[in-house]
Amino acid sequence: MAAGSLLDVAPAQLFPEQVTNALGLPGVIGEAVGALIAAFLVGNIMLAFTGVAGPWAKRKITAAFTDRIAVDRIGPFGLLIIPAAAVQLLAKELIIPEGADRPSYDLAPLVLPASAMLGFSVIPMGQLGPLNLQLADPEVGFALTFAFASIASISLVMAGYASNNKYSLLGGLRAVAQNLAYEIPLIVTAMSVVIFTGSLRTSEIVAAQQQALFTVAGVTVPSWFAIVNPFAFGLFVVANLAEIGRNPFDIPEAPTEIVAGYQTEYSSSYFVLFYLGEFLHIFLGGAILTLAFLGGASGPGPASIGFVWFVVKVWAFFLFTQWCRSALPRVRIDQLIEIGWKGMLVLSFANLILTAVLVGVIAS
Amino acid sequence: MSDWIAIGALAVVGIGIPLGMMGVSALLRPSVPEQGKRTIYESGEVPTGSAHIRFNIQYYMVALLFLVFDIETVLLFPWVVIYRPALEAGIPMARLLAPMLAFVGILTVGLVWAWRNGAVEWMRSPRATRRKTKRNQP
Repeated sequence: MAAGSLLDVAPAQLFPEQVTNALGLPGVIGEAVGALIAAFLVGNIMLAFTGVAGPWAKRKITAAFTDRIAVDRIGPFGLLIIPAAAVQLLAKELIIPEGADRPSYDLAPLVLPASAMLGFSVIPMGQLGPLNLQLADPEVGFALTFAFASIASISLVMAGYASNNKYSLLGGLRAVAQNLAYEIPLIVTAMSVVIFTGSLRTSEIVAAQQQALFTVAGVTVPSWFAIVNPFAFGLFVVANLAEIGRNPFDIPEAPTEIVAGYQTEYSSSYFVLFYLGEFLHIFLGGAILTLAFLGGASGPGPASIGFVWFVVKVWAFFLFTQWCRSALPRVRIDQLIEIGWKGMLVLSFANLILTAVLVGVIAS
Repeated sequence: MSDWIAIGALAVVGIGIPLGMMGVSALLRPSVPEQGKRTIYESGEVPTGSAHIRFNIQYYMVALLFLVFDIETVLLFPWVVIYRPALEAGIPMARLLAPMLAFVGILTVGLVWAWRNGAVEWMRSPRATRRKTKRNQP
């Protein structure tokens, strides 16, 4: 895990460059066109994730947890519910509530999915055959993805305030309270990973987790940060659940308390976009977790199937959120503030300092 | 440079896909205006007043604290990045840790103060507080 060995990992060509070179597009304009095509393909991977997760997998998983049968009418395993639901939702009438604050009411459903998609720009999604599915690898990548992800709460406030509905207002304000309480533990815990890597470049964070940590009975355990520092991993998972607003921290929506929170007054394509944005955020949360703690897109087998491992890890996190949804009660908002500011914040700083001391002792 | 072109491209796609969905939906969906359809949902009751009111957000002290800690995290990022390379360059650990500990220590004192003054607690409702004050009066 020396700094020198990190640089030996040759940075493979990123996806936009591969597309540009494969199509032979010249100059800066060619680069931009190639980047657009690559971004469109990556965007569609994410849409496919949410398409499978939203109308189908989520229902199947919840049904399994509650001992029911769900969506099995159309197609094999009920899979054709996905296009059916897409058409149905898009063809619904758009009802705009009286007194809605128009520009903000219309912009909020754009901001949520866009922010989640932007978060994926620096995530190394691994290789699929010769393709290296990572759009960008800037020096500040790791910080950038948190910055993009946290734009989401702005969208929730916009929706909550612009809807002119009391439930929406409460939902939007709850979203802020929650993000205020959990943003700092999330980022400070992420910093403890950066202490190990000494770099914010996402590809280097993944590369730093590839060395063997120890070998048990012939099985080599990689130095994933979830294994190196399980305490930070636990903290990060909890803060991540709160950041993406899932149970037990789903108080911005809280269906049994405030109807549907910020999205009460949204219908038709606007509602779909909120739904899409939320699922994208769950997957983004899973992708950040995979990147920082679960060794990124790596696993047994050749590097060219890394994308498969990435999908497995991200979907494992999705399954975990759905498990929490079925199994855990919701915390109250005052409890949420208390857990965030009195528990998580203190623990995350303790973790940061302890990690720094440990790294220092090991290095010297 | 190409990194930022790619991120910009994803931003275009990230806004384009939702816009496209809005466009498709505008072509597909019906518009059947009816009286009362656009009424605000208030559990089936006739809605009372507007939601654009002055509202006690309960956590403004927490928001102030958040600002302080958020800036702290921003300032800690460079330190975190150089920590390990600096160690490997042979700078003693104490010299690297001391400034960060002092920096976090100052903010910890602030947090303890806020904690003891009840700033990181959900505020009680004015009515409940009034009742309590009344009860405590001799």
